[in-house]
Amino acid sequence: MKKQVLTFRVNGDEYEILIHPKTLLADAIREHVGLTGTKRGCDTVSCGACTVMVNGMSVKSCSVLAIQCEGMDITTVEGLEENGKLSPIQRAFLDNGSYQCGFCTPGMLMSSTAFLNEMGDKKPSEEEIRESIEGNICRCTGYNSIVRAIDAVAQGKYKEE
Amino acid sequence: MINDFQYLKPASLKEALAMYAEHDDCKVICGGQSLLIVLRQGMLAPEYLVDIKHVNELKYIKFDEKDGLRIGATTTHREVEKSDIIAKKYPALVAMEQKLASIQTRNWGTIGGNLAHADPAGDLAPVLIALNAEIKFGNVDGEKTVPLDEFFVDYFETQMGHGDLVLEAHVPAPEPKSGCAYQKFNLLDSEMGIVAAAASVVLNADGTCKNARIVLGNAGPTPLRVTKAEDLLKGKKLDDKLFTEAGQIASEEAQPVADIHASEEHRRHVLGVLTKRMLKKAFEQAQKAA
Amino acid sequence: MSHKKFSVINTPVHNIDGIAKVTGRATYTFDVKLPGMLYGKILRSPHPHAKIINIDTTRAMELPGVHAVVTGKDTLGIKQGIWRRYEELCDEQILPLEKVRYIGEPVAAVAAVTEEIAEAALDLIDVEYEVLPAVYEPLEAIKKDAPTIHEGVERNINVTRHIEWGDVDEGFEQADYIREDWFKCSGQHHMCMETRAAVSNFTPEGKLTVWTSTQSAYYHQALLAGVFGLREGDVRILAPYVGGGFGGKFEIDSAQFCSGILSMKLHKPVKIVLTREEDFIASKRRTPMFYYVRTGMKKDGTFVARESRMFSNGGAYTGMGATALYLSGFFHSFPYKWQSYPYDGYRVYTNTMPSTSMRGFGAPQAMFCSEQQIDWMCADLGLDPFEVRRKNGHTEGYEVPGQAFIASCGLEQCINEIEKWVKSKGKLPANRGIGISSCGFMSGGIFNWFDSPYSFSSAVITINVDGTVELHVGCQDIGQGSNTTMAIIAAETLGVKVEDIRVHSGDTAHCPADLGAWGSRQTLMAGNAVKMACEDAKKQLLEFAYAEMGINIVYDLDIKDRWVHIVARPERGMKYEDLVKKALRAKDGQRIMGRGYYTPHRKGMISPAYSYMMQAVDAEIDPETGKIKIHEVMTAHDCGQPINPLGLIGQLEGAASMALGYAYLEDMPFEDGKMMNPNLVDYKVIRAPEMPKTDIIEIDTYEPEGPYGAKEAGEGLTNPTAAALGNAVFNALGIQMKELPITPERVRKALAEKKEAQK
Repeated sequence: MKKQVLTFRVNGDEYEILIHPKTLLADAIREHVGLTGTKRGCDTVSCGACTVMVNGMSVKSCSVLAIQCEGMDITTVEGLEENGKLSPIQRAFLDNGSYQCGFCTPGMLMSSTAFLNEMGDKKPSEEEIRESIEGNICRCTGYNSIVRAIDAVAQGKYKEE
Repeated sequence: MINDFQYLKPASLKEALAMYAEHDDCKVICGGQSLLIVLRQGMLAPEYLVDIKHVNELKYIKFDEKDGLRIGATTTHREVEKSDIIAKKYPALVAMEQKLASIQTRNWGTIGGNLAHADPAGDLAPVLIALNAEIKFGNVDGEKTVPLDEFFVDYFETQMGHGDLVLEAHVPAPEPKSGCAYQKFNLLDSEMGIVAAAASVVLNADGTCKNARIVLGNAGPTPLRVTKAEDLLKGKKLDDKLFTEAGQIASEEAQPVADIHASEEHRRHVLGVLTKRMLKKAFEQAQKAA
Repeated sequence: MSHKKFSVINTPVHNIDGIAKVTGRATYTFDVKLPGMLYGKILRSPHPHAKIINIDTTRAMELPGVHAVVTGKDTLGIKQGIWRRYEELCDEQILPLEKVRYIGEPVAAVAAVTEEIAEAALDLIDVEYEVLPAVYEPLEAIKKDAPTIHEGVERNINVTRHIEWGDVDEGFEQADYIREDWFKCSGQHHMCMETRAAVSNFTPEGKLTVWTSTQSAYYHQALLAGVFGLREGDVRILAPYVGGGFGGKFEIDSAQFCSGILSMKLHKPVKIVLTREEDFIASKRRTPMFYYVRTGMKKDGTFVARESRMFSNGGAYTGMGATALYLSGFFHSFPYKWQSYPYDGYRVYTNTMPSTSMRGFGAPQAMFCSEQQIDWMCADLGLDPFEVRRKNGHTEGYEVPGQAFIASCGLEQCINEIEKWVKSKGKLPANRGIGISSCGFMSGGIFNWFDSPYSFSSAVITINVDGTVELHVGCQDIGQGSNTTMAIIAAETLGVKVEDIRVHSGDTAHCPADLGAWGSRQTLMAGNAVKMACEDAKKQLLEFAYAEMGINIVYDLDIKDRWVHIVARPERGMKYEDLVKKALRAKDGQRIMGRGYYTPHRKGMISPAYSYMMQAVDAEIDPETGKIKIHEVMTAHDCGQPINPLGLIGQLEGAASMALGYAYLEDMPFEDGKMMNPNLVDYKVIRAPEMPKTDIIEIDTYEPEGPYGAKEAGEGLTNPTAAALGNAVFNALGIQMKELPITPERVRKALAEKKEAQK
């Protein structure tokens, strides 16, 4: 089968890559664009380690064909910082020890970021925060430190002066 | 590993239907949240894949007090979940969506894809059937609308043939004095139900039951209506005893299959409990409703 | 009691690898890509027990893009195992020559230019098997007529372990009440987020480099050198960031072995990453155990005798499972002073995946049985379970006869704190209960079945001219934060800041040998080595400082927060970085180096130190459906001096999530030797909505053997939870759960039995 050209933006940069249409978005990002922050931990769309944002929405990049993202904006964990300055949720993860082995962390950060963006100034309940990351498995932390980090950002503790 | 396929991206519904009709060994992808797993396991290996994710003609949520609710097939779960009008008029639908898989899946997965996949453990169909929904599907030659409970014919099989696409789900306007509730039994909040039950209740002005619908999830090859239990309730003044009795019937009528997650006995038992609880919940909503 | 004012220890610091991990910069074996790298895939046995008659690789070799196909015939055929001192326990060939013993066992491996081609080639390998009768359960496998899994191993008994002290007959004679129960504890999968993975690169000079997801780079260096016939020094193991371990990444796995053998054949780098399904069916698991427990108690609650027999499902090979057999039996006595205690453990081979160590190392199973039975006996006798535990609990200075000496023990305070907490909850609503469980755990094992000639832990530090420090350790960070712990201990000891320390680990070419991350050993053992190395370097610096500062020799000097000063007159001193610069010159330009090591001596049979804890689980059960909701987990914990408070909370919460999973969600059902749920849809790992509130009360003790008084924290916290949940269910509904996990169906069954009994 013929390869096709996919044009999309990843973390603001435009990429033109040649892929099989069956290529999953996760593999396009890791193998073709070369950003390995996005992980994969299962083959059943269960673990969420591959979570990225597509046009601002969190999706599991192992459950999306890359070719379906023609012309779209992809944000990966590498796109969260700006010139070495970490985003609020990244800083909150550091302060709360919200990672251990770190393998699920990129996906967790993307789910958290999409959720916090969606909340805007609204303060989510603990239940809402927990449900915002229920698509992501973490085997190390027991999640509570991640919940505390998201809550801290939602409460405005990392707002820029 | 996914087998190679030819990727087709129609610009319109018309083009999509034409492409689908043209190729025999062809599947349709929308959100692909279920399809891609099946493709990855090699259980399906179509030569062509028609992508309707971007067919915006089918992306809509419309509500009219008389006509009710119309949801286009490429509408995502998340759009249903976030719709103010659905939250107001059909809160059971929103509550169901909030518990359907994870946000990531709801962001990309669509209601058309969900219904076409016809997984008897799916969350959407039981609630829609309890709400008396119908479904519109069509092909190059025309469209057809059927009650949703007749749409499913077997495990992962619907009335649709090759070339048919799901176009729209239609839910009638809510009746006065009505309520609807859904719950699945599972161990993790985000997973599919081991079993599930949806119930709707409509009351007469005198408080007796005008109509009731009971739908079981993952209790057979398709979402399962329990008409025998529904008939028991109609015309009666509802109470806990009747709900228990209806649950008992649901438990008997169900055709669940055992697997590692639960025995057949446990599934039947829990279906009875859920039916009882959902009827009571729907009834209490109906009592409070205008 | 406050032992010492610390500058770094027990202050909140970010993990030193935090930035790498929250920005996606951290690269794992999963991410390693080398020029010219090939991809490998492994063909696995579909049969639980079968002779390999013939393997024909011709068709696979013909597929374009395939570089090599290997089978057992391409290997040296060495039977290997991690219990290297005992030949009979080295029982596994990763590509077996004669027969397969479990579904998923590797039989051949392919290297090709893409993963896709390698996978396609697997279908072209023709294997002829002669299927043999198989057996899956230990109580079946020990029967006389059961199939033989390993030649010469009678009744499939792989290892036995006897522990005994006191006179058991006399003990039971003294007992006013004797109770016996059978328990069945399930397996559990480590389910590391990063599946087992390796990139092997064998080059023409005869040297092999392996990037791999491991808990002990040294073990893998030695083990791989052994099976490949190489010198240890010619094998270099690189462990980049490791995506979780939990006890499952010590033994040689199929990714390491097959990529290695393929690379040696091809002289090219070969990468193998197990799929999630492969990782589930063909790695290792927590050991499933059947426990028979008979306990004798006096009317006043004094424990007089405990007799137990345990049969574990060892699966097809030994691995680290032999250690679990011993530790389960030992911790089954914990944390109480039994007058008499005979334990007999039998590890039985079956045709299922091998069982091994997993966080808690046999203790969660042991506690599930012990701690529930104690509560049931208290209920039978009308005794207070807190009081009974206090009465019989370990205390400082106690010797577990012939086994262990308890130098520090905060058990009583733990019990008191949890008792207070439980009482503060008052009367609970219907169908809700709080259950308790106490336990303890080791701070590293004293055993050396690996037959390592090296110290158990070693460390080397070098101080650069600007005062920055290179710390080389062999201990392995698998996410638990050991690099940060070592940096904290180094910074505290040297008197500098955490950001002054660069930790080098996970590279056998540059780091000293260390047994790695198991049995909660690193904080104590590697921590002692790091402390010693830093004291060595600091001594050299201070010797020079005396000369440089020209002070009276009766004064003590110290360094704190980069300030070298007289202890009695802290304002008199000099900057640490100035001292280093000068000291370097005095040493003819040599950097300051310090060396440290640790091997336990005269510390009993098991461990140099023991942590203690009590945990309470607050749970609600829907009696109609049997579904459990966990409301809260509260733990009182004695880990000696906490080193890294943020890391400690993380360990507690992580252990609770994994242990709750073991208690009521995670299971590995097999049918005819086939695991029925080898994916993350059907294998239930707890997620954020199910995770309850957790909190911890730290009990302040000082462990003389630990660095700065520290001991185990993190693994032991996995031990009490299943038992505490069982006791919560008992307190809520009056039913006794003797099988794990505690599923809704088992709850309903127990309720029905209770109803039946009441008739």
